[in-house]
Amino acid sequence: MFRRNNIASRIFQRQIYTPAPGTSVYCARRFYENLVPSCTIYDVECPDQSFRKFTDDGQYLISFSRNQQDLVVYRPTWLSFSCKEEDCDAHDLPPKAKRFESFFTHLYSVSLASCNGNELICKDFFLYVESNQYGIIATSTPSIHDAAANGAAIQGVPYVEKLTFHLIRLEDGVILDVKVFHNDFVNLTHNMGVFLYDDLLAIASLRNQTIHILQIRDSGNLVDVRAIGAFCREDDELFLNSNAQCIAFPDKSKLHQLPGNNVQNGTHLSQPNQEDSLLSGIKQRLLSFIFQGISNEEKDPALVQFLDRQHLLIKFGSVDGGVSRNADQHTAFLAVYNMETTEIVAFYQNSAEELYLLFERFCDHFHTASKNSVSMNFVSSHSNNIHALEQIRSVKSKASSQFMKKMLGSLPYSCQSLSPSPYFDQSLFRFDEKLISASDRPRQSTDHPIKFILRRQPCSLKFKIKLGPEAGNADGRTKKIASFLFHPFLPLALSIQQTLFLQQPSVVNIHFRG
Amino acid sequence: MGSMLGDWPSFDPHNFSQLRPSDPSSPSRMTPATYHPTHSRTLPPPDQVITTEAKNILLRHIYQRTEEKDLRPKRAATENLIPEHGCKQQRASPY
Repeated sequence: MFRRNNIASRIFQRQIYTPAPGTSVYCARRFYENLVPSCTIYDVECPDQSFRKFTDDGQYLISFSRNQQDLVVYRPTWLSFSCKEEDCDAHDLPPKAKRFESFFTHLYSVSLASCNGNELICKDFFLYVESNQYGIIATSTPSIHDAAANGAAIQGVPYVEKLTFHLIRLEDGVILDVKVFHNDFVNLTHNMGVFLYDDLLAIASLRNQTIHILQIRDSGNLVDVRAIGAFCREDDELFLNSNAQCIAFPDKSKLHQLPGNNVQNGTHLSQPNQEDSLLSGIKQRLLSFIFQGISNEEKDPALVQFLDRQHLLIKFGSVDGGVSRNADQHTAFLAVYNMETTEIVAFYQNSAEELYLLFERFCDHFHTASKNSVSMNFVSSHSNNIHALEQIRSVKSKASSQFMKKMLGSLPYSCQSLSPSPYFDQSLFRFDEKLISASDRPRQSTDHPIKFILRRQPCSLKFKIKLGPEAGNADGRTKKIASFLFHPFLPLALSIQQTLFLQQPSVVNIHFRG
Repeated sequence: MGSMLGDWPSFDPHNFSQLRPSDPSSPSRMTPATYHPTHSRTLPPPDQVITTEAKNILLRHIYQRTEEKDLRPKRAATENLIPEHGCKQQRASPY
């Protein structure tokens, strides 16, 4: 749509031309080619906290105190200063403007982990409910590894005494509701074991092999909807209990209800005794779907994501595989499960080509974003962007089966792990994915600046993200990791460099459009 | 039908009858050429209701593949259950 690169002529053209149908967001995004975070404030003095992320609507910056007990929330703003000289453009920023507080206003701090207990905030975990501006944060006691199995719990999985999910209204920091799990384990690294879709939250409990589905009400309540694992239908428990006690069968005409209803499921700590002789509901569904003989190992539900409000994608793996994403050694299975009919619709091994083809074509439907979130629907992926598709096809042509298994190892997706920033749009910029990407996982830090190059002619270098000042670091042996937080729509980014194995405070740089 | 709208036909001769030529000195009766369909194959069924499919395209594909597998004749349980991909034909892409 824009013929020239000059921002003024683009604004004039925007007055006249309308974008092609359905492309208005992509056309508006092209202005980000002109507004880039080219200025950097290195090693800005900021509170010693671990900054987690910007919320997807750009309203808040979430961070946790260094002692992992408090949630600290900032509002991203913009600096303002005035210059009375004649030639203002030549002047650098005054030192008093080069502060953390110029860009971020501290809103409040909330203490979540109790001081007397040994609870700590899980600083890798944060979910945002955009429609109501709620945040979900988890606190847990330390994990215990010498677990002896009890009842339906499985051996080998560590557990925590108390794991609490807090639902917080980010506007003012009020804790609206909590959900507590006792003697359980949920893998919270990078939001892996929990998936948020619209107002439904799926929590995969590794120790009890149950998937809990909760609903987040507008009133701020966390409501149990169903738990899949021991029982697939709400009245299974009643049926099994009554069967064991040899009383008349209850009326089975009451069918499963829609997730919108306020269905209270029984707690899962007290399992009936005959459960040991029966396979848990979900495993029984799995085994009745596949014929035995494919694998003799027992597979437990490990990771889960929503595909839509009724369908879950569940990964069944051996215990160790459930905790990590390393797919090389073991086989795992992925199943599509319909919560309403409690049927497994489809079933794949984690190296299945069929599933990989679906993944290649419809990757965006695995990244289920809620309808409320506009920004998350435009994240570049290999299903919506030709450059990303060419990239993975070129890697695939070199090492096909290993590559497929590796790509399928990323399923089920971690929720809210990609940044919606337009600077990661592959149609606009080209950058080295090993050094920086939309994913918020920290990666190995580099002394060289990370270049963002324009995709379109004249393919020029637009801006660089450099982690340290020009002098560089003399000690090249210390291993450093870097993480990047990009604001969803402002030309503002934080880069945080941490030295592993040393107790040095992290170095924070602010990249902004000067 | 004059130069304004071209010589395009209509299915109803009464259409465009309200048009008056802007130039009153050259009155021409504006009856468009009338074409009628010779068959009713393309008419929608009278009770047709068009709605949006609730399932997204990924789930539609997954269900379709599952139904295809179900329609194929069942094999003995001892055989390898993962189907060979060579015998499957690529379904024509709907778009």
